[in-house]
Amino acid sequence: MNILIFLIPITLIISLLGLAAFMWTIKSKQYEDMEGAAKRILFDKD
Amino acid sequence: MNCLHCANPNPDSKSNFCCSGCEHAYNLINRYGLSEYYNLYTADATERKVDPDSKIEDLTEAVEPSTDANHFQANLIISGIKCAACIWVVESILQKQTGVKKARVNFAKKSLFLEWQGNREEINRYAQLINSIGYKLLPLGSKIINAEEKKYDNSILKALAVAGFGSGNVMLFSFALWFSGNEMGQGTRDLLHFFSLLIGLPIILYSSRPFLISALNSMRAGYPNMDLPISVAIVLATIFSVYSTLTHGRYIYFDSVTMLLFLLLIGRYLDMQARRKVFRLASELSSFSPDFARVEKDGKTKIIQASEVKEGMLLIVAVGEKIGADGVVVEGESESEIDSSLITGESLPKFIKIGSEIYAGSINLSAPFKFRVTKPPQNSMLAEIVKLVANIETSKNRYVRIADKLARIYTPAVHIIALLTFLFWCFTLKAGIEKSLLSAITVLIITCPCALALAAPIAQVMSVSSLLKKGILIKNGEALEKLNHIDTIIFDKTKTITKGELELMDILYHHREDAQHLWRPSPDFNYHLKLAASLAKNSGHPISAAIVRKFQATASADFIPLAVAEHKAQGLQSEYEGETLRLGRKEFCQIKVDDCFYPQSSCFMRYKNEQLLFLFNDQLKSDALEVITELNQHKSLILLSGDTESAVAAVAKETGIKEFYAEQTPISKAEFIQKLKEQNKKIMMIGDGINDAPALALADVSVSFALGTSLTQNVAEIIINNDRLAPILDLLRISSKSILVMKQNFALALVYNLCALSFAVSGLVTPLIAAVAMSSSSLLVILNSLRINR
Repeated sequence: MNILIFLIPITLIISLLGLAAFMWTIKSKQYEDMEGAAKRILFDKD
Repeated sequence: MNCLHCANPNPDSKSNFCCSGCEHAYNLINRYGLSEYYNLYTADATERKVDPDSKIEDLTEAVEPSTDANHFQANLIISGIKCAACIWVVESILQKQTGVKKARVNFAKKSLFLEWQGNREEINRYAQLINSIGYKLLPLGSKIINAEEKKYDNSILKALAVAGFGSGNVMLFSFALWFSGNEMGQGTRDLLHFFSLLIGLPIILYSSRPFLISALNSMRAGYPNMDLPISVAIVLATIFSVYSTLTHGRYIYFDSVTMLLFLLLIGRYLDMQARRKVFRLASELSSFSPDFARVEKDGKTKIIQASEVKEGMLLIVAVGEKIGADGVVVEGESESEIDSSLITGESLPKFIKIGSEIYAGSINLSAPFKFRVTKPPQNSMLAEIVKLVANIETSKNRYVRIADKLARIYTPAVHIIALLTFLFWCFTLKAGIEKSLLSAITVLIITCPCALALAAPIAQVMSVSSLLKKGILIKNGEALEKLNHIDTIIFDKTKTITKGELELMDILYHHREDAQHLWRPSPDFNYHLKLAASLAKNSGHPISAAIVRKFQATASADFIPLAVAEHKAQGLQSEYEGETLRLGRKEFCQIKVDDCFYPQSSCFMRYKNEQLLFLFNDQLKSDALEVITELNQHKSLILLSGDTESAVAAVAKETGIKEFYAEQTPISKAEFIQKLKEQNKKIMMIGDGINDAPALALADVSVSFALGTSLTQNVAEIIINNDRLAPILDLLRISSKSILVMKQNFALALVYNLCALSFAVSGLVTPLIAAVAMSSSSLLVILNSLRINR
C-alpha cells in the first residue's frame, strides 16, 4: 500500500491542474457570452 | 418589389428601398464590402428596417480613458443584435474605422466594448455610423443595471468548480473506505482520512460561503431560511470529521459535505443563470428618453437640459417631440394634437388649444406649440407617479415563499429531534455522553435538507426557462408561487387588451336622398382607400398611418405618386388627374354636412364631388377574446382604464368583462387595488403604461409588456415579450404545474429524510448510507422537476 503515498499526490496534482485551467477560463471571461461564442464560429475570418 | 435592406414592401414600385433610412444602410454596408451580411442574417429580416429619423444620444459621458495613452474605451448597450450577422457587421464596420483598436459585441449581455485612439468625442461618430445601419447604442450607465449586474459575479461558478474538484477527489478515497470493510488496516485508513481532510477542509471553507452568509443574514433578519439547517449540517459534519480524523475515528463525512455543496451549487448556478438572462433582456428593453428641452427666452430659442427647466419657462415643442414638463399651452397653430396615452391611457390623440393643460411624457403629433411650465420635470405628474411607485415598492410586505415556510417548521423540528436523541441515548440507554452526542450530531447531519433545498429552485429554474421559450420573462421567482393564489385579474385597456393603434373600420360615402344626408358604405372601397393611402403615406399622423397600414394589408396595387402638401393640423392636399384631392378635417375638406353624428376617430376625404368619411377604432388584440373568455371561467376579471366611458364600455362588452371602470387616473387605479386588497383579494394586474405603474406595484402579481414603458418594466415582475395575451394562460398553467412539482419534491425529500432520520436516531448510519440517501434524494427531486418542461 506504500504506493499510495505517491499515487495520491500525483492524482491531486493532475486534478489541481484541471481546476486551475477552469479557473483561468472563468477569469478570462469565457463564460460571459456563451451564446456569442456559439455564433462567432460561423464567421469565415477573424 | 421589396426593400433591398429590410424586405418590407416598398411604397413606390420604382424604388429599391422602403425608406431613405434603409437605402442609406444598404449603401453603407456595401461600401464597406460587408454585403455578406444579407446572406448571414438568420433572424426576421423585416425587423432590420432603419428609421431615417432616428437620432443618437450624446455618449461622451460613457467614455473612459483606456490604459494606453491617447486611447479611450466605452461599454455600451447595443440594441437590435439578433443573430451572428449582427455581431459580424457591427464589429467589422467599426474595425474598418481609422482609430478603432477593438470592437467586441457581447451577445448575451447585448453590449459593445469599444476601444479607440483619438479623442473622446469620436464615440458619437461611431454611434452615428452604427445608428445608420439600424442598430442603436445606449449608455450602460444606469445605476440600477450596474448594481444588478454586480450581483451576478462569478463567485458561484468558482465555488461550484472548487466543490466539483473536491467532491470528485474525496469520493475516490471514500470508495476505498466504504468497500474495504474490515480488511483495511488502521494505518491505511488514517492515511485516506488524512488526505480527505487535506482536500475537504479548504474546499468546504471556500465553497460553503454562499450558504453560510445567506444563513447568517436570514438569522439576523429573524426569518430562518433553508440555508440555516444546511449550514448547521455542514459545520457540524465538518467539525465531526476533523475530530474523527485526528482521533483515528472510524467515520468521516467529508465526501457527503463536498458532494452536498456541489449539488446545491449546481442549483444555485442554474437559478442565477436564469435570472441573469431575464434581467439582461429586461435591461435591453428599457429605453432611455432624451432629456433636453427647447426654451424660448427674449425671442431666442435655446436648448437646455431637462433638469434645468424651471417653473414659468416658455418651452417650444416641435412635431414628434416628447413634452418635458407639465404646463399650460400659450401659443399654437390653431389646434394641434397630442398623444397622452402614456399618462392618461386615452387611446386617441387629444386636441389641445390655448389654455389646455398638458402633462410631461405626452408626444406632440401634429403642429408645434409653446407652453408655459407649471411644474418642472422633477415635480411633474410623471415624476409624482414614479415617486409613488418607489414608495409602494419599499413598503411592500415580504412574501413568504413555500421553501421558507417549510424551513420555519423544519429547522426547529430537526433540532428538537436531535436534542431528544441525545437525551434518549444518554438517559434511557445510558450510553455515555460521547456516544449520545455522536448520535445527535448524526441526526443533524443526515437530516440536512439537501433535497429540500433543491426542491424549490430546481422546479423554479425549469418553469422560468420553459416560460422564457414562450416569450415570458419572470423577473422574480416569487411571482411563480404567488400566481397560484390569484383570484382577480385586472386589465388595463389600451395596448393591453387592445392593440393601441387605430385601425380603419369602414369608409362611408355621402349620399343625398329626399333632401336627407345619409352615409352609406363606399361603393368602391379599394379605390377610395388607394386614393387616401397615396395621400396619407406622406404624413406621420396616427390616422394617416392607419390608412396606409390598411392599404398595405388589403390591396395589392401600388400607391399613386402624388405631390402632397401637408397643412399642419388640417389635412393633406394634392392634385390628381386635374382635380383637387383632400384628406383631413371636415372643414378642410369643405364638407358641408352637419346634421350627422360621427365619432372622434374619423377623418374626411373629398375628391371631385365625392364626400367620404373614414371611421377608425382601436382593435382588440388578435387573441384577446379567446383568452378573456377562458379566464372568465375561473377568475373574476376587471377592466380599469383611463380612457373615456364609451370606449371602455365597448371593449368590456366585446370581450365579456362584466366589471369595468373608465376615466381612472394613475392614483385612482392604485386606490382601487388597495381597496380590493383590503377585501383579501389576490390580484394580478396587467398593464403597460406609466399610468398603470402604481397599480402594478401594489398588485400581488404584476404583468407588463416588452413594448411598454421602462418604468412599468422595472415595476412588473413578469414581462411578456410579444404583444399577445395568450402567454397569460401559459403563465397560469405553468405556475400551477410548477407549484405541484415543488410540493411533490418536498414530499419526496421529506420521506427520504424521515427514513434516514430513523436510521440516525437508532445509531445505524454509516457514511455510505448518508451519501446514498443524500445523492439519491437530490437526484429524484431533479428528475421530478424535469417533468415541468414536458
